[in-house]
Amino acid sequence: MELSGGRPWEPRPGRAYRVFQIVNVVILCGVVLVTLYPFANIVARSFSSETYIASGQVNLIPRGFNLTTYKAVLSDPTFWTNYRNTVVYTAVATFISMTLTTSYAYVLSKKHLRGRNFLIGIAVFTMFFSGGLIPNYVLINTLGMRNTMWALVVPNAISAFNLLVMKAFFESLPPELEEAAAVDGVDTYRILLRIVLPLSKAVVATMTLFYAVSFWNSWFSAFLYMDRPNLFPVTLYLRNLIAGATSGSETGAAMGYLPQINANIQSVTIILTILPIVLVYPFIQRYFISGVRLGAVKG
Amino acid sequence: MSAPTTLVRPPVAPEGQLPAPPEAVVPRRPPGRAWRRALRRDWQLYSLAVLPLLFFLIFRYLPMVGNVIAFRQYEPGGSIFGEQWVGLQYVQLFLHDPTFWHVFSNTLILGAATLVFTFPLPIILALLLNEVRASAFKRFVQSVSYLPHFLSIVVVAAIVMQFVAVDGSLNQILKAIGVQPIPFLQEPQWFRPIYVASEAWQNVGWGTILYLAALTTIDPSLYEAAAIDGANRWQQTWHVTLPGLLPTMITLLILNIGTFMNVGFEKILLLYNPLTYSTADVITTYLYRLGVVSNDFSYAAAIGLFEGLIGLLLVGSANLIARRTVGTSLW
Amino acid sequence: MYRMTRRELLVAGGMAALALAGCSTGGGSSRGQAPYSGNRYGAMNNYGPGVQFRATKPLTFSMMYDNNPGYPYNKGWLFWSELTKRTNVTLDPVIANLSDYNTKVSLLIGAGQAPVIIPKIYHPQEVPFIASGAILPVSDYTGLMPNYTRTITEWNLQPDIDTLRQADGKYYLLPGLHQQLWVDYTLAMRYDILAKLNLPSSWPELYGQKVPPTWSDVYDVLKAMKSYTNSYPLSDRWSIPTPGGNLLNILGTAYGAPGGWGYQNATWDYSAKKYVFTGTMNQWKQMLQFLNRLVMEGLLDPESFTQSDQQAIEKFGAGKSLVISTNAQTIVNDYRPAIKGIPGATVHKIPVPIGPMGPVNQGSRLENGIMILSKARNTSDFVAMMQFIDWLWYSPEGKVFAKWGIEGVTYTGSVDKGTFKLEPDIDWGGLNPGAPKNLQVAYGFFNGIFAYGGSTKLLDTQFPPEELAFQKVMNKRRTLPLPPPAPLTTAERQEAQLWETNLQDYVTTQSLRFILGKRSFSEWGEYVNELKQRNMTQYMDLITNAYERFKAHHG
Repeated sequence: MELSGGRPWEPRPGRAYRVFQIVNVVILCGVVLVTLYPFANIVARSFSSETYIASGQVNLIPRGFNLTTYKAVLSDPTFWTNYRNTVVYTAVATFISMTLTTSYAYVLSKKHLRGRNFLIGIAVFTMFFSGGLIPNYVLINTLGMRNTMWALVVPNAISAFNLLVMKAFFESLPPELEEAAAVDGVDTYRILLRIVLPLSKAVVATMTLFYAVSFWNSWFSAFLYMDRPNLFPVTLYLRNLIAGATSGSETGAAMGYLPQINANIQSVTIILTILPIVLVYPFIQRYFISGVRLGAVKG
Repeated sequence: MSAPTTLVRPPVAPEGQLPAPPEAVVPRRPPGRAWRRALRRDWQLYSLAVLPLLFFLIFRYLPMVGNVIAFRQYEPGGSIFGEQWVGLQYVQLFLHDPTFWHVFSNTLILGAATLVFTFPLPIILALLLNEVRASAFKRFVQSVSYLPHFLSIVVVAAIVMQFVAVDGSLNQILKAIGVQPIPFLQEPQWFRPIYVASEAWQNVGWGTILYLAALTTIDPSLYEAAAIDGANRWQQTWHVTLPGLLPTMITLLILNIGTFMNVGFEKILLLYNPLTYSTADVITTYLYRLGVVSNDFSYAAAIGLFEGLIGLLLVGSANLIARRTVGTSLW
Repeated sequence: MYRMTRRELLVAGGMAALALAGCSTGGGSSRGQAPYSGNRYGAMNNYGPGVQFRATKPLTFSMMYDNNPGYPYNKGWLFWSELTKRTNVTLDPVIANLSDYNTKVSLLIGAGQAPVIIPKIYHPQEVPFIASGAILPVSDYTGLMPNYTRTITEWNLQPDIDTLRQADGKYYLLPGLHQQLWVDYTLAMRYDILAKLNLPSSWPELYGQKVPPTWSDVYDVLKAMKSYTNSYPLSDRWSIPTPGGNLLNILGTAYGAPGGWGYQNATWDYSAKKYVFTGTMNQWKQMLQFLNRLVMEGLLDPESFTQSDQQAIEKFGAGKSLVISTNAQTIVNDYRPAIKGIPGATVHKIPVPIGPMGPVNQGSRLENGIMILSKARNTSDFVAMMQFIDWLWYSPEGKVFAKWGIEGVTYTGSVDKGTFKLEPDIDWGGLNPGAPKNLQVAYGFFNGIFAYGGSTKLLDTQFPPEELAFQKVMNKRRTLPLPPPAPLTTAERQEAQLWETNLQDYVTTQSLRFILGKRSFSEWGEYVNELKQRNMTQYMDLITNAYERFKAHHG
């Protein structure tokens, strides 16, 4: 069985190491408890009735089990429209981001490239300076991207952070493979696609995950550049629900808004947002847990 | 950079590129020629960079022109470039405000504390996970540990408030060991530990992902070689794993140093109160209370430039130090 | 009892007359060439009070729409179609979610993309947009709005309107108007516990139970309640981001120095007839001492000032606390569900407790209002737009329509005659509990954008009998006159901005420390000095100067 950083040959584990292993398991169990407990609480709340929630009696088990809030949200067609939007936006955005970031990171990883530092500087600079709300808005508006998917998908395409981490990964690849290919006359594009990327599955998976998650959770761009509710991503929809529940700004307005919904709309929102990620995650996890081995340098 | 392997092919000189004979003096070429050579040789690489550069130009650098309002008086509803030049008026406004410097130092302290405590934790957790033999347990722990990252800040703040409330879990534990309950959120000296702890809790699991990915790129034959040399697990970790993680660690460290002043605005806003302003108030929350964020775009732009400058300086210095000491750096 | 001097009466009357005649301070009047000659497209010539506005040509106006998730925007609402049928106007909404409405407004105005009509603006949110000239000085155009001006005169709202005026004497927001001050926030108590206490027979009754009339009576009640809980009888909410938002507001008002939500650095001293700094007032100190006593005797939970609403409600729901701040909505939505688990527990409002100021209500009768973009002034249908706004938001017929809909379809009877009744299959606010249709969700009426404000009779139609009883008691109290305007110029505001926030922060922090016993009242003198070091005197000079300047120039 391959383990990441696998050690197929190891000395017989000594006493000290066995003790460490036990301590390790205890620590990790502690980590699980500390991170899982609040979630169990949130899951329980999302199914509990408002009386138990409001008097603080819900812990790990739902009390007064009901699906009212779930039903209220899931039966709203706008919710599904917005959910579909989120899926589309995330997929497109991640694709665009990964394409741009990977190509640029690859270019930056070539130490011999003339002007490389300048190109790196262009990216780093954007980490610290930005235009501000109104100039960005005017730009998007002028480009006619308002109320379209492109306003969400393009302006945040490259994260300098992800870019630089990817560049570091590319730099740590042994250069022999690429050099050999270059000798054989393979062009840069094919080297990137056929050699470098397959070797970089771990970092590609990780960056795809990072981008996808950040687009999945984002609402700010949609809030800025969209005014039509049927175009919103689901995060905006849910955010508005929560604001309506917690602001209580309109006296009596909340009658379409039962106390039950008030009580656990936040928990339901979290579950609905995180569920797809939890379901998809194991498929990505195998790229960096079970150890995709860096191809051995072939003799 | 990977440690030298014991199984290395002797470098094969590609045809047509013999090392330059030592007696040849390389003449000084005019820079134009060097550029043309570079373009000819690497035009494919440059072509890959065209789209990203276009992106940066249009969507990042073009809007930056709007920062000119830091030096011009901007009126909401008026020209987006401001009405008239006022020079350093806004800069002086905050440079001369004693409260600004106080919140500035709070920001530094909070950011530094967060960095110091939350930077090593993902690495340690990744290493601990690495030592687990049972793959199922390892995957389970990892899948659960990242969950807090997905909680909205509002929910995390509520969880924290519940936890440190006078009748909350932490005080229950204290009561059990005979200590009087402490109203943590009302005492300024407790704010920083609580904030840093909540940041650690929320982000450690997510942070391990990158390191786990980095661990997979370490050549397993290095472990074999170390084991053959008689290294035990600890020595293997020290001499193989950590150096293998070094590029990732240094990159992340430099980036985090550059951005460490971006302390969480929303979380602080929800967790602080006037009793803890003295330690909890940071630049962003102070500006928020001033009404600057919503009304005074010029002021906000001036401060943004100030913070950006500092960040750039930090990243530059961190990079320089890393290059001189460890050998890896961003550029 | 505050009496207007003859001069002030004359001035108020004069201003009302001016407003009625439609002249602005320095504006033009119908002398020679008619004003608005190029802006009368679609306008009515005989529009006035009692006249149903109907544009002579079909018109469309863009409007900012605050999307409330309780009743999300629905193009098919009866409200829209009926509105167009009656007024020949179609509204084109730009939708922004409730959660971030103000940011969106600010953004759109800043980018020059805002719609012409922007409602749901609370004073002073309109102030930042004045300096650039982006929004209209609506005070110059009230001549086009006969219902609006008539309402102001009838309900004597001129002093309230004056609080909106800027240094140039004009105001830039068309506010919602209430006939009477609408008091909603107060304390809620566990009435079943009250019933167990031995209360003086001289006390007034509400909901069939004797209730404490003054704050010192509240203190006695809390003391007696202490034996019914093993925690603090009063554990409050609404402290984020303003600690003691409601508690310090109603308590401070009772003393004459409002705090919490009502806090202003400068308070108008009615007897001294000048502005004084709130944080150093004797009344403020007395209020802090009262609260300190509550904390020291274990009657008020120290966490009240920093805990989240959720935590406070949980304590109330678990029976740990027995008194909490409330409004009409939260009793129904939060507290009653929370205490369902406690056998026999009931919760109701008590009338706002009275303090040294006597039985007074304080506040403005103005509601959130409408900003209008300056560029509307030059459009061809400007006059029609103002008439339309006047009809929908300020005419009695328009208000009933916006709130309750169509007689015979959504309701029966008449508001004025007191025979109003919502149709039995439609519910709003618990008036017809269990009815299948919700007025807002199904029809689009009682929309928070259009339905605020109105006569007391209209307001009363929305209250269930329980709330009506509370309103009756509160309406008997005298409403304090509003403080006179003291508006700053743009330059002054920039200077004052830093001072204001720092002073407010310092007062809040130190007040909390005094209340919680972390700082002794013997240090009060030091505290005053610390405030002086933070530009308190300079700030008050600025305010006093602004007040006198406004008085001199605009009466």
